[in-house]
Amino acid sequence: MLAKLDHVTKRYVKNEGLRDLTLDFPAGQVVGVLGLNGSGKSTMLKLLAGLLFPTSGHVSVFDGQPRSKRSNIVFLGERDALWPWMKPTDAERFMGNLYADFDRTRFNELLDALEVPRRKTKTMSKGERGRLRLAMALARDAKLYLLDEPLGGIDLISREKILSSIVQEWHTDETILLSTHEVAEAEGLFERVVYLRDGKLALDVSAESLREGGKSVVDTFREVLT
Amino acid sequence: MTEHDGWSLDMSSGPIFEQIAKNVHQMLARGALTPGDKLPSARELAARLSVNPNTIVHAYGQLEADGVIEKRRGLGTFVREDAPVTGMKHEMLHGAASAYAEESRQLDASIQEAIAALKEVWDAG
Amino acid sequence: MKRFMTLVWLEHRRNWMWSLPLLGSLLFWAWGIKQVLIMDVAERLAIRSGLLLAAAVIGAVVLAIMVGRIRSETRNGQYQVLLMTPPSGYAHIGARFAYAAAIGFAYYIAIGFMFWWILELAGLHLDARSLFDLILFTPFYALNITVLPMLAYVLLLMVFISAFRISGSGWIPGLTMLLASPFAYSWLGEGIVKVAYTLPGWKLFVNAPAAIIERFGQIDPEIGTEINTAIYAGAPIEPLLIMIGLTIVLLVVTGRIWQEVEA
Repeated sequence: MLAKLDHVTKRYVKNEGLRDLTLDFPAGQVVGVLGLNGSGKSTMLKLLAGLLFPTSGHVSVFDGQPRSKRSNIVFLGERDALWPWMKPTDAERFMGNLYADFDRTRFNELLDALEVPRRKTKTMSKGERGRLRLAMALARDAKLYLLDEPLGGIDLISREKILSSIVQEWHTDETILLSTHEVAEAEGLFERVVYLRDGKLALDVSAESLREGGKSVVDTFREVLT
Repeated sequence: MTEHDGWSLDMSSGPIFEQIAKNVHQMLARGALTPGDKLPSARELAARLSVNPNTIVHAYGQLEADGVIEKRRGLGTFVREDAPVTGMKHEMLHGAASAYAEESRQLDASIQEAIAALKEVWDAG
Repeated sequence: MKRFMTLVWLEHRRNWMWSLPLLGSLLFWAWGIKQVLIMDVAERLAIRSGLLLAAAVIGAVVLAIMVGRIRSETRNGQYQVLLMTPPSGYAHIGARFAYAAAIGFAYYIAIGFMFWWILELAGLHLDARSLFDLILFTPFYALNITVLPMLAYVLLLMVFISAFRISGSGWIPGLTMLLASPFAYSWLGEGIVKVAYTLPGWKLFVNAPAAIIERFGQIDPEIGTEINTAIYAGAPIEPLLIMIGLTIVLLVVTGRIWQEVEA
């Protein structure tokens, strides 16, 4: 198993992020992580990234503690976390010097494909920054990609570009966990869908088997979560 | 509903791999694809339609098993020269027509009424 | 090494603008020094020296704010990006500290030069060896026993708070640490005084011209005597060693806590 959550509970100061969640993620799956705001999607992805530690239960990635495996994990957080002075060339220097698996050529190809302007992020639109962050993430060659709302607050054209780059860069042995509110646009990508509600698992199902029953991932979203 | 040069998907109408296979049948039936034509690679088509590449591989596998397409080593995926194109249009029309006929019968409509209704809809475009 | 230098580069890109207030402070005090126009030479020298002391304190405050500014990065998610990078917490903390220390050195060396300048204004000329002591060894000594341990402590405090911020009550241990620190410092100070001069002192300004010491004696005879004793005994080496050791310990602890930070 590439990544595992074993009876994981995460409690914050004021509320509970996850309650007794158990999930396994084998290599080579594209998984949609779906739920309403506050359902625990970000908490789950951050636990797998090693940015949070479980209150109880056990999280493992590549049979180890996620924090210690961070050089093999790509994490794209939902926040617009780039320094305002950063240009794509600075981003390349930052990523290329810190990550052994970062491919500078591929990064520049991705910048072209995603049409990222070569200027400071503070003068970019939110969509352009989102595309730059995605190029930084996808130019790495890791086995686990945790993408938290890569389509959030981004224009339609950027969203399409982002989705098609994800498809293009995905290798069959890599696992992608993608959380999104744009379920309809992204659902074709998902092989498996995990629905979370109030920090608990509501449904864990194969996307094609849902469709076999004549329901889309979106239809099921409405059914399970409301 | 995703539409893209002849490819059209609806996430609420059954598994995507079946829809992809059906798309190929439809394109062959109306002549948008002919025997010997090259199909896009699984990854390319997946990126275009924003679907999982494995799903396209699954659909292509199905079409290959049905004798419609073949993989040529190092070249890509092609419509077979002996793909059953001629019968295909008729077969698909037949399938759609029998569904319509069944529905008409249940409404206790005569064949004239059914044809008239079809003609009305047809002319309305 | 490439990774570490990249982190230092990142520090520079994030923080270079903090050199601007420092530069501004230097220019401001230089201007202030020129404004002191009291007739009595000794008094003038005393006031000018006092201004430089103020400049030194301001530098420490600016540097502390620079390294302690973790909150805004936590909010914007940049902390997440940093925590996900492969270098260890020790490298991250080391880079932050090294950059602040380098800026600090530049600033305090500039203050050393300004002191030389006010001596020249007072008609006092330093020999080469004393000038070296003034602009190099004195800043090194002073920085290592005051500013650098303080910066390490600020880093520790900030990282400590952020380690417990999300899922625990970080302010309780943080506050405890903050409240305990005056006691820790007075205890440390007493300890240092006790052991000072068990080793021979570090001789600075041994060849300083007698005229300079005389001039300080004119400000206050007691100061003159103290300077003479200090030059004779040298700067105590124990505080320097103890504070360098303390700084290293604080940095190692901070680097270790970095591994536990949640973001």
